[in-house]
Amino acid sequence: MTNKKSPFGNPGALLVLAASLALLSCGAARASVASTQPPLKPITVNLQDKAALRNGALYTLHMCTACHSLQGARYSTLSRMLGMRKDEFKQVIGTNGHHFHDTITSSMPPAIIDAFAKIPSPDLTDIALRHSPAWLFTYLTSFYVDPSRPTGVNNVVFHNVAMPDVFAPLQGLQKPVMVEGLRYGSPAKVAIGVEPLTRGSMTPAQFDRTARDIVEFLYAVGHPHQQQRMRLGPWIIGLFVVLSILTYLIYKLYWRRVDTSEERWWRVGK
Amino acid sequence: MNSNKRSMAHRVFGWFDDRLPISSLWRSQLTRYPAPKNFNLWYFFGSLAMLVLVMQLATGLFLAIHYQPNPHLAYWSVLRGIQRDSRWGWLIRDMHIVGASAFFLLVYLHMYRAILYGSFKKPRELLWLIGIFIYLALAAEAFLGYLLPWGQMSYWGSAVVTNFVTAVPVIGKPIATWMRGSFVVDLPTLNRFFVFHVFLMPLLLLALVLVHLIALHHVGSNNPDGIEIHDNVNESGWPRDGIPFHPYYTVKDLFGVSIFFVVFFWFVFYNPSGWGFLLDKLNYTPANILHTPADIHPLWFFLPFYAILRGVPNKMYGIMAFAGTFVLFACLPLLDRSPVRSIRYRSVLWKANILMMALSFLWLGYIAHGFATEHNMVYGLHIAEVFYATFLVLPFFNRQRSVRAKVIWLVAAEALVWLIDVWMYSIHAHRWGLMLLTDWIPALYLLLLFGLAIVFPGLARDAQKLPQRLTAGGVFH
Repeated sequence: MTNKKSPFGNPGALLVLAASLALLSCGAARASVASTQPPLKPITVNLQDKAALRNGALYTLHMCTACHSLQGARYSTLSRMLGMRKDEFKQVIGTNGHHFHDTITSSMPPAIIDAFAKIPSPDLTDIALRHSPAWLFTYLTSFYVDPSRPTGVNNVVFHNVAMPDVFAPLQGLQKPVMVEGLRYGSPAKVAIGVEPLTRGSMTPAQFDRTARDIVEFLYAVGHPHQQQRMRLGPWIIGLFVVLSILTYLIYKLYWRRVDTSEERWWRVGK
Repeated sequence: MNSNKRSMAHRVFGWFDDRLPISSLWRSQLTRYPAPKNFNLWYFFGSLAMLVLVMQLATGLFLAIHYQPNPHLAYWSVLRGIQRDSRWGWLIRDMHIVGASAFFLLVYLHMYRAILYGSFKKPRELLWLIGIFIYLALAAEAFLGYLLPWGQMSYWGSAVVTNFVTAVPVIGKPIATWMRGSFVVDLPTLNRFFVFHVFLMPLLLLALVLVHLIALHHVGSNNPDGIEIHDNVNESGWPRDGIPFHPYYTVKDLFGVSIFFVVFFWFVFYNPSGWGFLLDKLNYTPANILHTPADIHPLWFFLPFYAILRGVPNKMYGIMAFAGTFVLFACLPLLDRSPVRSIRYRSVLWKANILMMALSFLWLGYIAHGFATEHNMVYGLHIAEVFYATFLVLPFFNRQRSVRAKVIWLVAAEALVWLIDVWMYSIHAHRWGLMLLTDWIPALYLLLLFGLAIVFPGLARDAQKLPQRLTAGGVFH
């Protein structure tokens, strides 16, 4: 605080040297296991949009939970999050025969999912903490037909995904947009997007809206205390900003004597 | 009324004070403890680290109450029980997570402060050594705690580290099994890690910190000028450049604490996973023994060591190089023996070398943050050489060297670096092209350091005259 000298004095030329060394070898570090990255579809998440959250909850709890669990969430906490009363929640969304305070588990026994997909289906509670909303949105909308896969489909952002295209009836089937690219550093044909192949029961705009709602809902489930954080954060941080100013003034008040007066006053020897 | 007019409270306090050295400790350690009057920004980090230690103990207490050390329950006891079901559990956990990283950041800055101002030099060598043990205990504490959420990165990180000992020939594997209590990381491992994390290590840390403080108050604080304040005392024995720790540094530290909490709580409320640096995204997946992640790496504070470990193309030597960094830290008082303590009065090249020490440490972290490609391994090896070199060249600066000595230093250092490289080439550790990309970095660094010392001797010369009194903070008398 009261230090009037730079702790490094005058490093001058050697700073330049260190910086140029760093730049040179950063350039060299670029050669790595590159894969062609398909562009992600941008999406904005608005946790205030209760209608979207309810729609997302409806689709998630009626389609996704066939195979996926949301073990971190309970029906009761969801109803609070969606702004619905208990009876309203039970009527509109339902608890799949579970108790209202139960956690949300998949309808299908895990053994069947294992036998089908050869891999346990991931829990969706914190999926929005593992992936960005844009990634989730792109994932949900980018299944494409790939006869080489056991499920007949593949995904643009999740190569060789085990999940089948459960959205086919809604979205219709899609074909990939392939480019010559890299996969783990080796040349390969890489899908970077999809084009419609058949029609589903929803228009593309309707389906995008649905997928967006699902992502918003999953984001809300993954960030259960977002509103509390936003409400409390400014107060707590503000408190310490104010305290910083006050303690700075007190510090300066006390230290005025150290900075200005003779040394004699702090001679506190016996 | 009693005769000496002492109030009831005074008499009660007096009763205790006669039997416990309360007021005498208060006086000798706080109000009559002389601290140099010119502490700067770097001197906040020690007290802040102590604050974070207390905070980790307090938040950890509540987390331990709700945590289940069982592989079937651990993950959800953290992510549902603590994070969602218990009231304010999320806040306590996020404080604990951000606190762990804050602890390391503060300790690294605290250690670098000691290097900058020569605080490890006589008579504070033992103080520094105790500090190194605190760092090791802290590292163990962090590693043990990281397994507890039982996420993918927790699990595989622990699997990798407990496999270190298998590098020891013959007895390595039995020791690893004994350490884990199982052939893989499993329930016995989780149980013992939990007990060590919440009981053994905190106890050890507290004890070490106490010894650290006792040693500090015995030898007195160093300061940014590196001049012993006790060498210049007034007629009553009080250092002329010393001020009582309390209230002057307590009010100053309170200001530091407030600023620290502004940053700390910004992370807690708005960015608890710290862009994936404070808590890895992969840890939001429960541990799966059948599914090894594509890329296993530690949290940010261990990344530089991880780069060193990864850089050496042999497990045994890798672990030796990794452990060697701590030996280097511990040997610092033996390496840097110049009578001039503070960076303010050291030579330009010494300053550059100390700057390079920090830069190469960060640089190693940057490398380890990338994938474990062959390129990154070679790159890590060469920057590790630079990091080692920044320690091993320190004796060069202990005194004025003749031109002949400088040339010998240059030749010996270059020979050592190239010998390691020739060895790497000879055992075909990596592809030629990859080696050539980066193996000039340590060689060039040493060439520049000693070359400049030969051509411009002034750059390697410390200040010839040190001030008699502290130069900053307060009126210069």
